[in-house]
Amino acid sequence: MIENFKRIQATLAKSPHLLRLGRLFSETVLIEVDGDEYYLSFEKGHLTQIEQGPSRKTPWRFALRTDAEALGKFWQPRPEPGFHDIFGLVKIGRGRIDGDTLCLVKNLRFFKEVLGIARAQEGVSA
Amino acid sequence: MSIEPITGRYITVEVEGAARRIYFEEAGQGRPVLCLHTAGADTRQWRHLLNDAELTSANRLIAFDMPWHGKSLPPEGFETEEYLLTTEGYIETILAFIDGLGLDRPVLAGCSMGGRIALQLAALHPEKFSGFIAIEASDFQPAWYDIDWFHRPDAHGGEMGAALVSANISPYAPPAERANTLWMFMQSGPGVFRGDLSFYTKDDSLVARLPQIDTSRTPVHIIVGAYDLTCTPEDAARTAKAIPGATLSVMDELGHFPMSEHPEGFRPFFAEALDKVSKLEVAVA
Repeated sequence: MIENFKRIQATLAKSPHLLRLGRLFSETVLIEVDGDEYYLSFEKGHLTQIEQGPSRKTPWRFALRTDAEALGKFWQPRPEPGFHDIFGLVKIGRGRIDGDTLCLVKNLRFFKEVLGIARAQEGVSA
Repeated sequence: MSIEPITGRYITVEVEGAARRIYFEEAGQGRPVLCLHTAGADTRQWRHLLNDAELTSANRLIAFDMPWHGKSLPPEGFETEEYLLTTEGYIETILAFIDGLGLDRPVLAGCSMGGRIALQLAALHPEKFSGFIAIEASDFQPAWYDIDWFHRPDAHGGEMGAALVSANISPYAPPAERANTLWMFMQSGPGVFRGDLSFYTKDDSLVARLPQIDTSRTPVHIIVGAYDLTCTPEDAARTAKAIPGATLSVMDELGHFPMSEHPEGFRPFFAEALDKVSKLEVAVA
């Protein structure tokens, strides 16, 4: 899982269009996978820190909680219906979004495109 | 260089006691087919079908921008008005447009909120139409989001709306058409998507009207994409079941904006729908 987040970090760093989308985004996001916590800290669109939990002292703005299988399906090149979007995961009961949802929605395109960086390309495994 | 066969014009009709200057596009000759766009978008969603020579050889495809959308301005005085689409206002607009253009019992093809109103018209004004193609259409869904997110002074409602509705686009959609589909949402006027969603997510009056629809006189065909999170195949199936005689097609690789997000994938389903409506129409005659 950490490897995927590191890949996101590296690709984001060299993606000017994403950095432009996220230029006002400086928040920490909690991604929880099968109960394991990953705190992704963004600074002006850059993913500056990836910290693995558990932590009771790391403040976060919003959280996406899901399971490894669902996230694996989300990262397929052409996910099955429901696994193709974070709100799809919520809709099919495989994900939950907590915290400042409005902050997420204001930065939704940025966040979804950043999370989608780990999506495998056609013919390449994730 | 290429010049497309689509032509665009304006018509002024009266709706709710005031003038509405409505932009419409059309292409083709033959049976009129009136195409309704989704919430927060405009006629451009139908551009691929209007450019389809085979479909327009026997069908006059017409699409118009609802007032407040695309190139149809809001009514005079809008600057002090809160835009909230209602079932009654929506129906009046469509009927005024049909009368204004002098269309004789067109097929009505609507997507999303356009599909919802198509089913309302199937129940309330079937005599005005020869058939209904309800795309990504269902009886009712309450919002799973806060519609007020999309009209606020501190954020761009269009960009947020586009990011939200991208959840309804299939991963099979060509990237360019996905982007074009979202662009229309980004361009919608302040509060327009919210006002459309108010109709779509709060008015459940269709539920009780579905059994009234007489498909032996005006056929109803529902089409739904498997990747549609807003109107799921289950929602569409429930709706089709409540309309005696309605038919349903599920598109495995499409989402909520099929004619726009993946025109090639949608085309056979739309052609099939036109065919179904015709066959039933012949059977009724």
